[in-house]
Formats: sequence, structure tokens, C-alpha cells
Amino acid sequence: MRVSAITMADLRLSSTELYRSDLSALLEKCAAGLAVLPAYSALFLGLATGALEPAPDFAGALRQYYKNHNDWNRQYLELHSSLARDLKIYLVAGTVVESEAGCRYHTAYCFNPGGDTWGSQRQTHLTRAEREIGFSRGEELNMFDLDGLQAGMVVGNDARHPEVGRIFALRGAALLLHCGALEAGYNCWPQVAGMWSQVQQNQFWAVEAQLKGKVGARSFGAPPAVIGPCEITPGQSGYLARGYPHSAVITAELDEEARRQIRQQYPLLELLNPAAYSELERG
Amino acid sequence: MALDGWKEKIYQRYLAWVCRPARIKRHMHAFLPSPKQPAKPEPGHKKNQVRAAALQVELKLLKNPLQFADEMHRRVREAVNEEAELIVFPEYNNLPLFGLLPGFEKMEESYREKAQNAGTGQDHEQEGEIGLADVFRYMSPVVQPLVHTVFSCLSAAYGVHIMAGSYTLAEKGNVINRSFLYGPGGLLIGSQDKVHLLPVEVEWRLKRGGSFSVFDTPLGKMAMPVCMDATYYETFRILEQKGADIVLLPIANLEDYNYWLALRGIWPRVQESCLYGIKGALVGSIAGLAFTGRAGIFAPLEITPKKDGVLAQVEPCSSEAIAVADLDIEVLHGLRRNHPWRDTNPALYRRYLPELYN
Repeated sequence: MRVSAITMADLRLSSTELYRSDLSALLEKCAAGLAVLPAYSALFLGLATGALEPAPDFAGALRQYYKNHNDWNRQYLELHSSLARDLKIYLVAGTVVESEAGCRYHTAYCFNPGGDTWGSQRQTHLTRAEREIGFSRGEELNMFDLDGLQAGMVVGNDARHPEVGRIFALRGAALLLHCGALEAGYNCWPQVAGMWSQVQQNQFWAVEAQLKGKVGARSFGAPPAVIGPCEITPGQSGYLARGYPHSAVITAELDEEARRQIRQQYPLLELLNPAAYSELERG
Repeated sequence: MALDGWKEKIYQRYLAWVCRPARIKRHMHAFLPSPKQPAKPEPGHKKNQVRAAALQVELKLLKNPLQFADEMHRRVREAVNEEAELIVFPEYNNLPLFGLLPGFEKMEESYREKAQNAGTGQDHEQEGEIGLADVFRYMSPVVQPLVHTVFSCLSAAYGVHIMAGSYTLAEKGNVINRSFLYGPGGLLIGSQDKVHLLPVEVEWRLKRGGSFSVFDTPLGKMAMPVCMDATYYETFRILEQKGADIVLLPIANLEDYNYWLALRGIWPRVQESCLYGIKGALVGSIAGLAFTGRAGIFAPLEITPKKDGVLAQVEPCSSEAIAVADLDIEVLHGLRRNHPWRDTNPALYRRYLPELYN
């Protein structure tokens, strides 16, 4: 399967039409069957197009978004649903802020090549800042089929919590799609400590999209990546492809047979020792 | 073939005699300083600053147990000269003692050939061939008292904490891979059996441990899981939940050195569980097994000078070296209290993990 991770750099964002046109051209050029957009993509586009009220800081921008989230989310998700349908690809549309029963969630959506909602995933672990803003944690990890590969989505800060990757892996996930948004000031180590580490201890693939841009006074920018088990990647680095913070997109081909072989030679999950985990606090 | 013929039994008795504690102690007391009385801490007092040393040990076969005592002493003194009060040795620290076996060089040659033939169909164990697990079992009654004597004398003489590395030992018919921690009075503080085995250790029929321990010391709460245990986040999460501040990890990586491959163990676990990690590494080759590594001292990104999670790391990956760094337990606790991104989701874990682990 050919996959792409998008940063939203170099896309014209002053109107949804220009955005759609540029993203569509970019995705056609990549010729991938699956593309992943970063976290806070709906907020970023909403502010740039004027659909959402600006605010001096990130928390303020999120509060403004939340006031008007129903209308904007509908437009935003419809736009990406139609893109997925027109291009006949699986498209992870990045994330929206949504609410249910008075709780506020940070949620990723995936559309299938028919434009249907194929999966959604609420962020399950919040940063301190996200807790202060008033987000709630999701309590489920959802999986869906992507042309024969079991997949799940990892939203924002969930990349740093290994329980997420382990739950997906033990349920049979072959591919995780990460919508990320790390603050700019490039230091690769928070990313390595995130999805890269989850991939290495679970031997699945990950497509990591990172937001490039500015929301309020906060700048985002980290390289997008396609990650696999070290043994089956160039230089045993764990990276099938890795961009720069300013890269618009990166693309790679997943070799599922190679992953199957390394899991057979070095069966990490079979060597777990659950009998020793009785002291693991599970609640 | 088990090493249980009459010749082997007699030789084992001979080994026990040359490794007897009284002989080792007499030898060591000739050059060790008088036991240093550790300053008596006030009840409940904890040291905040800890200078730690991670040793990279180059594997050399030793012909005499006194050489083992000398070698371990040389490395401890090197760390003490750097003012380290916590010293970490590597996994499989018993392998140099295989040199005590007459004819081991010949056996080694055959193991090496077998390793070279791995995957060619000519690597199967011949009937009557002595496997490494047999050697571990045979050496165990000699190794355990020798290791205890040597590290007890060293920790007492220098008044330091020493994680003596890990050793393959026989216990109730099984072979286990066990690490040991000694305190400054020379007493054994505790031990830890390796809980997650490598595929090759499964082949050797090692028995895995069933739980993790944390030891409260004046330097902080410490644990010493073994090598492969650091491949799994569960190890460090349990240790964190049991209050560990410092994880001492003996390793012996059986692979050609590659920066990214070597990064997969303790470094990510330290980031996930917010504690200090000290890795002692065995390097060199024996019996067709080639070990590489880079010993080091690791901390959460947020409290390392370059924000890279590394406090100190040795440069070479295949020769002897030492890494030294200061750990600040209060800084670690401060980060935990005010952490920018760590969170927990008990409802999520309860929903999935018990069933998945079962």
C-alpha cells in the first residue's frame, strides 16, 4: 500500500476552494491509496479561511472554534469526504473539535474511497494545556479495515502513551495513522519518543502527519514520517520516509510481506509475559 | 549431554575450591581499602544528587577466579575515581568465567562454527553436544558465591552501591538470568530475574521471572530489570507505579551495532515512564555470540541539557568505556509533579488491557 503524510505547508488556505484544489493536486501527485492530515487541521483551515474567529492565542482560538464548531465541522468534513470520493482514496482528514453530552473532544476522522465516514477516533490522553482548555478523554480505540490491513488512528498526545499502541497491536492493528501537531523549534526527540517508539515495540506501520503553520501565537512544525520496524527500513532507522518540518508531503510504500517476516523472526508480542503484569495498575 | 560425568563432577569441586569465598576475600583484602563506613543517614533522609557510572565491559575469558576479582575491582575503582556512588555492570557478566573451563576454547570454536552455519541447515545441535544452558548450569554453583564475595567486598570497601550485572544461574532445575544490587555495607540489597527472554534464551530453555521488584535505598528507589525487559513499556510502567526513580539495566546486545537498533531499549522507556535509566553494556564476542552496545545514563528529555534524553553515553560500541553523570532526584520529582504532557486513562485501560493480556 502506498501512503502519504501531509503537513498542510504550501497549500493555499485563503478559501476552501483553493485549499481543495491544492490538496487535490498534491494527493493526485502522490498517487497514494491513503493520505493522513495532521492534528488541529480544521482549526487551522477555519482560521485561515475566516470561517472561525481569530484569537491572540491558541487556547483562545480553540474556544472560538468550539462556539461555532457544529457548522464548521460539517463543512470541513464534507469537503474531505468529497475529496476522498473524487480521488478514490482513504483520507484521514486530520482533527476537529466536537462535543457530546457537554464534553469536548479532539477527534480524527477517516473517509473511505466512497466518501463515507470509515472511522473516527477521540484523543484519549491529554496534555496539561488540553486539560486546562477543557477537553475530555475518549475511552475507546476504534479499528477499521484498510484494504486488508487493520488500522487505527492516534490523535496528538496519544503518540506519547505506549498503552495506546499496545492495545491496538494486541487487537491486531497493522497500521496506525497519527494526526500530530508539535510545536516548532525542531528537535526530533519528542517524535522519536512518540510514534517511532510505539512502532518499534509493536512492529506495526505508522503514518505520522505533523501540522506546519501558526495558530494564534503558536507555531507548529515537525517532520512528517512513515515509520516501520527498524529491520525493514533503510539504514535500520525505523523510517521508510522522513521529511523536514517544511515538507508539504512525504510518501512511502508499505511492504506487508517484509513486516510479516520480521514479526516471525523476532516475535516481540509473543514474548510478552502477561503473568508478570498483574501489578500494572489498570484503573 | 549434561556435564555430569565423574570427571566433570571432580572438576566442578575443584572450581568450587579455587573460587571459595575465603580465598577470594584474602586475595581482595590484600589490595582493597578498609571497608568504608557509609555515613548514617537520618531516618527517612534521601540524597537528592547521585553520581552514577555506567560501565561498558569488554568480554575477555579469564583463566582464574582471582582475575575476575581483579577485573571487577579495576572497573569499580575507575568509577570510584570519578566519584561515582552508584555503579552499573552489564548483563551476562558471568561469561568471562567460562575461561575457567578447560577446553572451553575448543567448545567455543564449535559454537562459532554453529553460529556461522545458522540458517544453513547445519546448525542443529548434535546429540551429546554440550549446550550453553548446560554450561550455565554447570558453572552456577561456582559463579554465585564468587560473584557475591567479589561484589560484597567491593561495595563494602568503597562504600558504594553496585549493580553487579546479571548472571545465568541454576535454580531448582531451571536456569534464570538474575541481576544483583549490593549496598555500601557490602550487603545484598536484592535481586531481579529477567522477565522477558530473547528468542535465543527461549532456545536455551531459560526460565523467565514472574514479577518486578523495587528497592528503597538512600540514593532513591531503584530497580534492575534485565536487557530485553526494556523492550516492553510494561516493565517500566510497573516500576514507575511501584515508585522507582532509577532503573539500572544490564544489557548484552546480540547484534551488530546500529544507532537506531540500540535506541529501542531503555531510552524510550525512560521517556514513557519519567525516570532515570542507567545502562551497563557487555561488548565483545564469545562462542559465536557477538555483543555490542553503548553504555549510558538517560533521563526524560525535559531534564537533559540538550533535550535529547541523554545525560552521558560512551562513544565506542565494541570496547571498554565508562559514562558518568549526576542524577537529581528532586528535579525528577519536580518534573513528575508538573509534567506538560503525561496523562493516564484508567477507563481505557480497564476496557481493553485485562482481556488482551489474558
